[in-house]
Amino acid sequence: MNPGQSRIAADVGGTFTDVASFDPSTGRLALGKALTTPDFLVKGIESGILKTGSDAADAGLFLHGSTIAINTMLERTGARAALLITKGFRDIYEIGRVNRPDSYNLYFRKHQPLIPRVDRHEVNERLLASGEVLIPLDDAEISRLGENLRREGIEAVAVLFLHCYRNPAHELRAKRTLQEAMPRAFVTVSHELSQEYREFERASTVAANAYIGPRVAGYLKEIDSHLRGLGFAGAFLVVQSTGGLFSFEQAQQQCVRMLESGPAAGVVAAQAVCRESGIENAIAFDMGGTTAKAGIISEGRVLTTGTALVGGYETALPVQIPTIDIVEVGTGGGSIAFVSEGGALSVGPRSAGAAPGPACYDLGGDEPTVTDANLVLGRLGATRFLGGEMRLDIRAAGRALYGKIAGPLGMNLVDAANGIVQVAVTQMAYGVKSVTTSRGLDAGNFVLVAYGGAGPLHASALAREIGIRRVLIPRAPGHFSAVGMLFCDLRYDCVQTRFTKLDDLDFGEFETNFGEMERKGRNAIEQAGVPAGSVQTGRALDMRYVGQEHLVTVDVPLEHFERQDRQAIKTLFDRIHHQRYGTSAPGERAEIASLRSSVTGLLSKPSFDELGHGRTEPVLAARHGTRTVWFGRETAETPIFDRELLQSGNRISGPALIEEHASTTVLFPGDELTIDSGGNLVISVAGA
Amino acid sequence: MTKSVDPVLVEIVRNGVMAVTEEMKTNLMRTAYNMIIYEALDFTVGLFTADGQTVSIGLGLPTFIRGMAETIKAELKHFGKENIEPGDILLTNDAYITGSHLNHMTFSLPIFHDGELIAFACCMAHWQDVGGQLGGVTTDIFSEGIQIPVIKYARRGTVNQDLVDIIRMNVRIPERAMGDLRAQITAVKTGEKRFLELVTRYGRAEVLQAIQVIMDQSERAARARTSAIPDGIYEAQSFMDDDGVNVGAPIPIKVRVEVKGDEMIVDLSDVSRQVHGFYNSGITTGHACAQVAFKCLTSPRDYPINDGSFRNLTVIVPPGRVVSATRPAPMRWWMTFPMTVIDTVFKALGDALPDKVIAGHHADLCVSLVHGIDPKDGKFFLAHMGPLGGGWGAKLSEDGVSATVCINDGDTHNSPREQLEAKYPLLIERYALIEDSGGPGQHRGGLGCETVIRALTDVTMNASIDRAHCLPWGLHGGLEGTGNQVLLRRDGEWDKERANAKVLTVQLKKGDAYALRSGGGGGFGSPLDRPAGQVREDVQQGYVSRVAARDYYGVVLDPETLEINEAATADERAAAIPVHQKRVAAQGQQVRRLSAAELTQKPPGHAPIPCLRISCCGMVSFPFLENETPD
Repeated sequence: MNPGQSRIAADVGGTFTDVASFDPSTGRLALGKALTTPDFLVKGIESGILKTGSDAADAGLFLHGSTIAINTMLERTGARAALLITKGFRDIYEIGRVNRPDSYNLYFRKHQPLIPRVDRHEVNERLLASGEVLIPLDDAEISRLGENLRREGIEAVAVLFLHCYRNPAHELRAKRTLQEAMPRAFVTVSHELSQEYREFERASTVAANAYIGPRVAGYLKEIDSHLRGLGFAGAFLVVQSTGGLFSFEQAQQQCVRMLESGPAAGVVAAQAVCRESGIENAIAFDMGGTTAKAGIISEGRVLTTGTALVGGYETALPVQIPTIDIVEVGTGGGSIAFVSEGGALSVGPRSAGAAPGPACYDLGGDEPTVTDANLVLGRLGATRFLGGEMRLDIRAAGRALYGKIAGPLGMNLVDAANGIVQVAVTQMAYGVKSVTTSRGLDAGNFVLVAYGGAGPLHASALAREIGIRRVLIPRAPGHFSAVGMLFCDLRYDCVQTRFTKLDDLDFGEFETNFGEMERKGRNAIEQAGVPAGSVQTGRALDMRYVGQEHLVTVDVPLEHFERQDRQAIKTLFDRIHHQRYGTSAPGERAEIASLRSSVTGLLSKPSFDELGHGRTEPVLAARHGTRTVWFGRETAETPIFDRELLQSGNRISGPALIEEHASTTVLFPGDELTIDSGGNLVISVAGA
Repeated sequence: MTKSVDPVLVEIVRNGVMAVTEEMKTNLMRTAYNMIIYEALDFTVGLFTADGQTVSIGLGLPTFIRGMAETIKAELKHFGKENIEPGDILLTNDAYITGSHLNHMTFSLPIFHDGELIAFACCMAHWQDVGGQLGGVTTDIFSEGIQIPVIKYARRGTVNQDLVDIIRMNVRIPERAMGDLRAQITAVKTGEKRFLELVTRYGRAEVLQAIQVIMDQSERAARARTSAIPDGIYEAQSFMDDDGVNVGAPIPIKVRVEVKGDEMIVDLSDVSRQVHGFYNSGITTGHACAQVAFKCLTSPRDYPINDGSFRNLTVIVPPGRVVSATRPAPMRWWMTFPMTVIDTVFKALGDALPDKVIAGHHADLCVSLVHGIDPKDGKFFLAHMGPLGGGWGAKLSEDGVSATVCINDGDTHNSPREQLEAKYPLLIERYALIEDSGGPGQHRGGLGCETVIRALTDVTMNASIDRAHCLPWGLHGGLEGTGNQVLLRRDGEWDKERANAKVLTVQLKKGDAYALRSGGGGGFGSPLDRPAGQVREDVQQGYVSRVAARDYYGVVLDPETLEINEAATADERAAAIPVHQKRVAAQGQQVRRLSAAELTQKPPGHAPIPCLRISCCGMVSFPFLENETPD
């Protein structure tokens, strides 16, 4: 059976499963939203596909992102795993970095390893920092350990040996021996995931992979066989935390690479929209029920980081894998507002979640949330939420706001509601700015691309707060991550630690190292089973001045290596250091800690059908009456538009509300909105 | 009255000043050259009012809570407000002003708006070297390095190059020092820029008024929580091992806390007088001790850290105490003793605030310094090894946390061992938790750590660790954890015993090694009340040995299966009550070295285990030494 041409993307989130399907022959994009079915996740995917009206049998590609990997870590529902580790270092996974961020809290806690101490075993082997062998590995010891672990019923084994990034021989041998001793176990070794120094972070990474491996691999297989049962004959690809795709087979081995797959796809989608619209610098802003997340697109590239922290900072488990740099703020539609002990108005991070939900859901919640405040201000319509599927109770919202905020602070209801939204918006603004400013970028020069259920509702206010002048609300903002997957490319990332001073850099050796990483990347891309259009390679170096600790990743053009141009590399590093930190030291020597390689296999991108072109004035049918909306202390009788009926070229002056199924866009007085040819709402923000 | 200020604006300003200090912190950390700043986070940045009140501190380290504010006040006094001008950047490392040591270079930038001084941005950070004697114990300030009085590093935008040249000539690694200096300047300039943005956006009067409201709110919260503490006078004492000069002469730490209504007084008058060795700190730190303890008990999670929170706290500390030392007292290792002062305040309030306090912790950075010539490039190297992380005390409802930095430190990281080995001619043989180091209790103290570091070339090492003898105490019937230790392995032989945990300027040959062991935390509540299932779990995980489970917890486990022998456990627990009571009574006593005869009369049921507690038999043993010395 030949695979079809269409593509199906499914994003499994905590509450909803979003499906997007795209048929290149018609340019038709169809969307479906189904409730996530935790006990049998593939069920939700199947009903999502049904809702799009497409057929798995027609699909050539199935693209998938899921919270299963991260939830397995956060909810501690993974396998019984063991960790084998260099002798003398059994406890480094538990000791961690010994920091105590919550400095005054005597009831502080630290991270909890996924693998308890009793399942961590020492191995008598040792490499030096140079990669030389100090104590050789004894295969018989591994074999014995493997036998014991098998008898104990261990399902997964992680291996971490010190300095394996300089010499993986011991880890490779241990892996082979373990696989022989326990053929049914999931075996993972640290250098296959990260060839970067930092033993705790690498231990945490490989332990996480072992812990989630069996469950995630089983889940992927289940989806695969279910889809095959539905007649699907195409390739199954999974979104990584970088926003790149990797094959279903690789995903089963390197599960920690898909921890942030949903949010990453959203950022990649924002990047694709920006590319279409000629936007170089943008903030991809995703606001949902409990949190807001932001990723950065700078000069057309998505900013990434080398380590993701899973869980709150104080107790986080690090995963040393390239990841889109996403900042998360505990502010969402469901965030609860309260008056603190000292009399301050605070919002979040506690959230009413889906149950009991905001007071206006009338499901038993009596605490005021950001959503309640928006309802009181008239920005949400009581009868229009989720396309009218759910009625909101404005009286319940008012009661909660009055009882918990306005009354105690001696404010009127509207000031309280405005206050809640404003506090929420400034919190998000600080969160967003922390990412840009820590990179030396000025957020004011960026376009805000807002999506997620609550993103469009707050986008214009957030833009004002940050000093952003242009906002873009893409199509299908409520299904954006699923749509984003259609824009992802195949990608393979590799990082390898090689401490060397730039002056001592041996270009020949680096060429060999990069060449090896790129060869692996090309192989991985070939094995994905999808013909990639072309393959691009990128090289970067993690650099610092001699004596510094923190590293700056510098993208280095290939020609600098070809010309063996040390000075050009140094100049580039000085420039990036200056951009990022405001200082540089051109007179000082630089050193390199790690090499980063990324290999991208470009896939053809969907091109959506263009929106019908209309006049400046939206068609009459798009107008959906008016509502009284508070903007600050003033009210305005605000026209409401139905996004489905807007056409490219339409212009709307604020104040206005643009409603669609899963979200509402707010235009402030003075804001000007244009629908562009791609169907995006482009808002030029007044006074920002 | 500030009542009329918009509560929404107040919240925005609250988030705003915290974002400013966070960004200052980020910029400092990322541009600093020395590992003590970027990994150990040995710095603090902050925003202050025009008269030096703390508005927000980006931590950094808790005991730095007063250093910057007092420095700004001293600078205002020195120059007079009218002589501080736009473009000025002030600098000092005066140890008796910062309250700490000369390594703490403190830069303050006055922030002007429309020509008026409205605030200060300040950054205090630890330079790895400021000259002075290398290693050993110093006995006066002059041997500790360059002293910079309160001066202008920059005057109206022009840097004082003479000063820079003097600094360069007085420090061992000038490039690093200059790197750190640049990082600090970047930090204070960031603070200025962002604070001015806030002021421009929301209005100067409004922002400054909002700051006052934030402080008033903090004060209200602090008063409300202090009111909840029963009125009374609470006292406790502890002691430090010695000052490194008079070895074996303990140094008393005695605190008195008075609670009356919504006010608290912390009286440190009876803390030891200043000492000969370098463990002194200045009066700024005496106040910081009281404030850190007070904040931990009353507003641990309230931010920003600001001076409003301390308006109802009075600190009494006459000059000349070990935490209020006067010139020319040596100050280099200033940070150790204050931690025990803080812990002793918690101990004093153990009965008044059982649900807020914590049992004793290891209370030392447990760092070591190694220097020598690296054979790879023939250059001098100075390796700062630490912090190790140690055990924390248990609480009313939770076990203590293992392997975490002491209370002097905050978001302070250890260094990746792989990086240390790549950078320095050292081999880390081991980094592990110490079984049985946590104080037994209904809630167990956290475990300490041990590390063994081998020299791959001839080196000199220093460790100035205290609290080897005053073990982290238990509370409410909990027992003490183990103390801090340092041991040397020379020519393949480990030390049998050392008088204290201070190893000063010791030469190690290639192949020699040293071990650092941090103490465990104290327990909370009687170990005989710890559910047997939890004890079994601890044994299974190797946090507690099976023998200790029986001896201290009265829980008898099957040696093979670790099943709980219920009947034997009931008998053991009943029989152990008087033994346990004796142990509780013996806590806090100074080390008893037992005679050989006494050693044979161990408490009932006591098996030949490596015993680490004074309350038990007073013997110290190092289990890892017996069976392993790698290769």
